[in-house]
Amino acid sequence: MLKSSFTPIFSTFPAKPLSPKPLPNAIFSCFTHTAPTVCQNASPNTPTTILPPPTSAYIHLPFCRKRCHYCDFTIVALGSSSNQTEDDPRMINYVQLLCREINAMKAENKANPPLETVFFGGGTPSLVPPKLVSSILDTLRLKFGLSSDSEISMEMDPGTFDAKKMKDMMELGVNRVSLGVQAFQEELLKACGRAHGLREVYEAIEIVGSCGVENWSMDLISSLPHQTPEMWEESLRLTVEACPTHVSVYDLQVEQGTKFGLLYIPGEFPLPSETRSSEFYRMASRTLSDAGYNHYEISSYCKSGYHCKHNLTYWKNKPFYAFGLGSASYVDGVRFSRPKRMKEYMGYVENLENGLVDSCESNRSAQDMATDVLMLSLRTSRGLDLKSFGEEYGSSLVLALCKAYKPYVESGHVVFLDEQRRAMAADELNALLVNEDKIERSPAYIRLSDPDGFLLSNELISLAFAVVAP
Amino acid sequence: MGFLRRASKTLKLSKYLPLLQANSKFSPISSLSRRNPLYSEFSYGHFGLSHAFCSHSRKNSKDSDIDLSQYPTERIRNFSIIAHVDHGKSTLADRLLELTGTIKRGHGQPQYLDKLQVERERGITVKAQTATMFYKHNFHGADNNGDHEEPSFLLNLIDTPGHVDFSYEVSRSLAACQGALLVVDAAQGVQAQTVANFYLAFESNLTIIPVINKIDQPTADPDRVKAQLKSMFDLDASDALLTSAKTGQGLEQVLPAVIERIPPPPGKSNSPLRMLLLDSYYDEYKGVICHVAVVDGMLGKGDKVLSAATGQAYEILDVGVMHPELTPTGVLHTGQVGYVVTGMRSTKEARIGDTLYHNRTIVEPLPGFKPAKHMVFSGLYPADGCDFEELNHAIERLTCNDASVSVIKESSTALGMGFRCGFLGLLHMDVFHQRLEQEHGAHVISTIPTVPYIFEYSDGSKVEVQNPATLPSNPKQRVAACWEPTVLATIIIPSEYVGAVITLCSERRGQQLEYSFIDSQRAFMKYQLPLREIVVDFYNELKSLTSGYASFDYEDAEYQQSDMVKLDILLNGQPVDAMATIVHNLKAQRVGRALVEKLKKHIDSRQMFEITIQAAIGSKVIARETISAMRKNVLAKCYGGDISRKKKLLEKQKEGKKRMKRVGSVDIPQEAFHELLKSS
Repeated sequence: MLKSSFTPIFSTFPAKPLSPKPLPNAIFSCFTHTAPTVCQNASPNTPTTILPPPTSAYIHLPFCRKRCHYCDFTIVALGSSSNQTEDDPRMINYVQLLCREINAMKAENKANPPLETVFFGGGTPSLVPPKLVSSILDTLRLKFGLSSDSEISMEMDPGTFDAKKMKDMMELGVNRVSLGVQAFQEELLKACGRAHGLREVYEAIEIVGSCGVENWSMDLISSLPHQTPEMWEESLRLTVEACPTHVSVYDLQVEQGTKFGLLYIPGEFPLPSETRSSEFYRMASRTLSDAGYNHYEISSYCKSGYHCKHNLTYWKNKPFYAFGLGSASYVDGVRFSRPKRMKEYMGYVENLENGLVDSCESNRSAQDMATDVLMLSLRTSRGLDLKSFGEEYGSSLVLALCKAYKPYVESGHVVFLDEQRRAMAADELNALLVNEDKIERSPAYIRLSDPDGFLLSNELISLAFAVVAP
Repeated sequence: MGFLRRASKTLKLSKYLPLLQANSKFSPISSLSRRNPLYSEFSYGHFGLSHAFCSHSRKNSKDSDIDLSQYPTERIRNFSIIAHVDHGKSTLADRLLELTGTIKRGHGQPQYLDKLQVERERGITVKAQTATMFYKHNFHGADNNGDHEEPSFLLNLIDTPGHVDFSYEVSRSLAACQGALLVVDAAQGVQAQTVANFYLAFESNLTIIPVINKIDQPTADPDRVKAQLKSMFDLDASDALLTSAKTGQGLEQVLPAVIERIPPPPGKSNSPLRMLLLDSYYDEYKGVICHVAVVDGMLGKGDKVLSAATGQAYEILDVGVMHPELTPTGVLHTGQVGYVVTGMRSTKEARIGDTLYHNRTIVEPLPGFKPAKHMVFSGLYPADGCDFEELNHAIERLTCNDASVSVIKESSTALGMGFRCGFLGLLHMDVFHQRLEQEHGAHVISTIPTVPYIFEYSDGSKVEVQNPATLPSNPKQRVAACWEPTVLATIIIPSEYVGAVITLCSERRGQQLEYSFIDSQRAFMKYQLPLREIVVDFYNELKSLTSGYASFDYEDAEYQQSDMVKLDILLNGQPVDAMATIVHNLKAQRVGRALVEKLKKHIDSRQMFEITIQAAIGSKVIARETISAMRKNVLAKCYGGDISRKKKLLEKQKEGKKRMKRVGSVDIPQEAFHELLKSS
């Protein structure tokens, strides 16, 4: 990894063996010019196409007051005493390092398109002083350019910002807020080890509203310990009342190494049973849909036109930059995660500056890339685009997928859609699968149903994995 | 040593022999190894000592220094060692091989004749082996040329399997013997297999030399064993040799006793060749190697022979003795035991008990030949579904060495392509499985073993059922009658366990035939039991009921009429063919209930659809369980575009699916099949 220098992004162009052809949307970044041999081996009709450089950047700001009990992300806990974060040297040094990473990134081609989305994730990015955020955005602007209508999102936690800070951030260009409310019950917030209480939640909603943040997301967690259906219903109701443009509902994952991991066993009290937990998911889907939200991804809901553009790059398997501790990027067909320890990350940035980091050949098989497409696209309501998938990986694979999913169409877990996105009946598929010829309406998309298919998405996606990579 | 030699030169009459034995107790055993047979035989030949066919055989035996012509039948003894498991048969064999210098003490692995890993691990013999030994002993019965040397005897130890699964093989091996050492553990006394083996030897008219072994143990009680031998077998207790193969105590009496008590082989050297085929194995380099005993006549390299069982003709490419490994001699004379290489392509051609005879001669085949009879059947399937070819290859190679297994391809909706294999018995099946895994690295799922039933329908037609799945669940014709195979079981237990064992046997539909006491502490019982009832876990159950003290053995008995029914296990209404079983009507309910519960336990409850599990006889459901559908399996967050962890999880889940066997709409984890089939 840390050996030779970056491969110049477009240096291999003339040597490309096959002529470029238009890339289907959903998987358009699957193949890269840096790995032509992989492409050749991978599939008979391998397209080699000019891969547009990323127009999205994820920025990891790892600082938190304290670690929440469910959290296993890469964070740096500052300690609750340090309310005064303005001059915290840890943040200043980190942001400097992060900017060095951005600058050291080799982007030879000056014709890179400007960034369309920037996402400040964490950690708790709202803890970071606006002037530091400003320096990051300046660095990005200088390096890649920043589109005038770019989406700049920031995760913000109640109790970490006031109206002034909010306004400062907005002035810097932050135009989308992801508000980490998680729950509307004091006892649940406490049980999660959140650094804020219910009062701060209402204050934060108030600030976001009063500052005129038009596009904001309410982030909730379901299936918390001791959470009752009444509590969840209340949280959903209060969410709808707060009128965010976007809602994220995360089902609690009990991770090893977290406090919850030590205390609880999934499915056992005080965690809700599997049945109850699935009921929470259904409640969210029903309540939010009724309130006019579009369930566009397993855990994401939005009012019309308010998709999180940044997250869409993930689901569409598009490339994105990432900067900062432990962050994961997808550039030149390579998925790469940065070191999760500060010291190692520092060494990484130094090596990067000294040209010692190899962008490393992706060497990814077609199977590997196809499974990426499957797992990402099937998380969305748009689903898998069969036409482009077939063009990339062969129509026989599409047929095999259809065959594998047919029983789940009958059971209502999977929906086949035609070109006009009208659902197809199971017996229509029979004709397709039996004759393997043209039928009147061919399925154009496969999606998981909401909520039944989404709820069992791991089962269904791994089933598709088995078709692609037996 | 000198003392012994002097003594043996002077004392030639058999009535003095007890004295000789007594004396020889004091001679160090190790010095016997000086009598290197190769060396001494060479000198015999070299000095042209008066023997009729000396020159002839010298010519034929240029491959080695062994001149078999020196051994007319009166100086040959063919014997075997029979014993219950762990009574010291293999160790005694090792000691005898060392004593005669056939193997060097401390060289070669222990249990020399047990060549298979499975034999060593289990302390059992599953394939016959022979070992030729040379031993000098002064005995009046031998012709002593007037020389001052003690005459050399050719001793053939024919190592036979002990278990009744191989009773046919044992009987053929014993047919080549005139005597047997009946080894009994001095502490454990007579056990079930001792009884079975005694009767096999007795029926073969063998001279039996009781050897009470392990007398060095603190709990040894030779007198009690002597009393048991007397009461059970009517053996003269004063004849018994007392030995410890471990310490060497008493071993020096063994071979003299073999020579003096066991008669020489009765064959006629001037008759046409009749050669008994004892067993065979496959050698990568030489091909099929047959262990044989020349009953009449003589065999030489290059001879053309015919098989009485198959009519096939073979040329003798190599012939020799096992001393202890293949030692070419170019010839085998009447009464001698050794090996032949004939260019047979597969051990399937080498029928145990077959008679081989010279081309263009007419002989009466030796009595007792029977084709292998398969009593236990089980399906063998590749554990990983896809590697059928690998398993096929492994089975082919193993059957090269174990021709007694019958193999037919079959396919199961639950387990895919596989094989239905017929075995001589339970141990044979176990050994086959173990060898498949150990010697050929095959991973297999084996279905619950079943026995061959005979069903008769109302129209008078009969079918033999080797696989319960093939029996129609709803036959067009009414079943008029059903027969199942039974066994005669011998059970020997400490008397305090009698009650528990009687309960067990009656639960297993057994019929008590005999109940007596061997001595004050041990009971002896004979039961007729349906074979079906003992194929799965009878022996384990018996062992655990009796704290491991029970000994158990059985022999095949006749078929008996029974009220048997086919029990189907259904998943969402689809029969799981691998789990179909044939049970007694009265037990169907209980067995069905247990199977359904077990299946519920082993099926991963995380399935996308509700699953009903049923046990049914025909269309009548007798037990039912339901597994509710999985509610949720979703990873909500894919944080910061980092998909690697989620992908790993999905990959893992996919791998899990690969290990599933699909039955109708239900995925059964591979492990569940393993567990279910292992323990039901």
